[in-house]
Amino acid sequence: MKEEIRNFIAETAFSDPSVIKDDTLIFDEGIFDSMGLLGLINFIESEYNIVTEDNDLQEENFGSVERIVCFIQKKLAA
Amino acid sequence: MIKNRKPFTKNILHLENIDEVIENICVQLQEDVYKRFRRYGGVIGISGGIDSSVTLALAVKAFGSDKLLGIMLPETDSSPDSEQLARELADKFGVKSIVENISAALDGFGCYRRRDEAVKRVIPEYDPKVDKMKVVIPKEFVKKNMPPVHFVSVTFKDGTEKQIRLPMEEYLQIVAASNFKQRSRANMLYYHAEALNYSVLGTPNKHEVQQGFFVKYGDGAADVMPIGNLYKTQVYQIARYLGVPKSIIDRTPTTDTYSAEQTQEEFFYQMPFAKMDLLWYAWENEYLPDEVAPVMDMTMDEVSNIYKNFARKQKTTEYLRTAPLHHYGVDGIIRIS
Repeated sequence: MKEEIRNFIAETAFSDPSVIKDDTLIFDEGIFDSMGLLGLINFIESEYNIVTEDNDLQEENFGSVERIVCFIQKKLAA
Repeated sequence: MIKNRKPFTKNILHLENIDEVIENICVQLQEDVYKRFRRYGGVIGISGGIDSSVTLALAVKAFGSDKLLGIMLPETDSSPDSEQLARELADKFGVKSIVENISAALDGFGCYRRRDEAVKRVIPEYDPKVDKMKVVIPKEFVKKNMPPVHFVSVTFKDGTEKQIRLPMEEYLQIVAASNFKQRSRANMLYYHAEALNYSVLGTPNKHEVQQGFFVKYGDGAADVMPIGNLYKTQVYQIARYLGVPKSIIDRTPTTDTYSAEQTQEEFFYQMPFAKMDLLWYAWENEYLPDEVAPVMDMTMDEVSNIYKNFARKQKTTEYLRTAPLHHYGVDGIIRIS
């Protein structure tokens, strides 16, 4: 899952996956804009069959690869 | 850090030498329009908003009212107030004005149909004949260190409202369709500019230019942007100084883009202009959050998050400010064998 997320972010941001570490802050680094975030929401919803609620849209859930993985795992476990 | 700068205060953007600022803008406008572009005057799209009003007032000082044409460009969703205020402005400054209604052109492009199709996919009960729509960013997003996410808001004819987060496809379609409005206006402005051998005087202010709150080749299409380097509070200061009608100065800036009423703060900026001006100035001039936070009555974290949002906005909208690239070839030279 981690690699899928990393690859998606890298592809969306026209960046090399090796640049995006588990804890790279994708919003702080300017890697992702609104479009990137919307694309990411689409991707994880269709790929992992989860639903992102409005109040899930927090930096704690989407700020880095490891946070996104953690968020998906929490959703899948719920 | 920038050296020899003034201490950060709430008054730091006040133009002490307003005459000199206006004179410099006017001299540069004459230089650019007359000498550089060889145009005889200017056309301005006037909306009854503060930015186009100050652009017109400055242009009257630079060129004289007889070398200007003010064009009102209403469409189906425009507020009737806009045309009335624009007319009041043109009359006050003695500038000839005309009305060019662009609704039929927009119908031809499918602007309304394409936009409403996307809205209906998200809110099927939306009836564009009787309901009003707009796109908003919920206020709480400004406090988050995240890019904003847009919601569509529909006000039904009974006054009830529904707000839904926009998926990417629908968001892009609504924006792309709505942008026909600004681009159609640009077409009409250039028609008149070319017919008179005038320049198009663009109306974006510093925030719109730097934060990318304009449509590329829409309201971003112009030969010069006289207020493109002025903060919004400075635009208001010049408006008062040059005698822009009070009804325009007192009006809350709107997008005048969607059928439902919408302020610019609600759609894009997410904070009042006076606050944004100071914070943008502080960020641009590298004032540290601990210098700014006490003056603004904010926490250092809040200032830092806003700085990050500004940096992100400027970076992610660079595309809008970039002219077509033509640096292709070998060492800048296209070699023909």
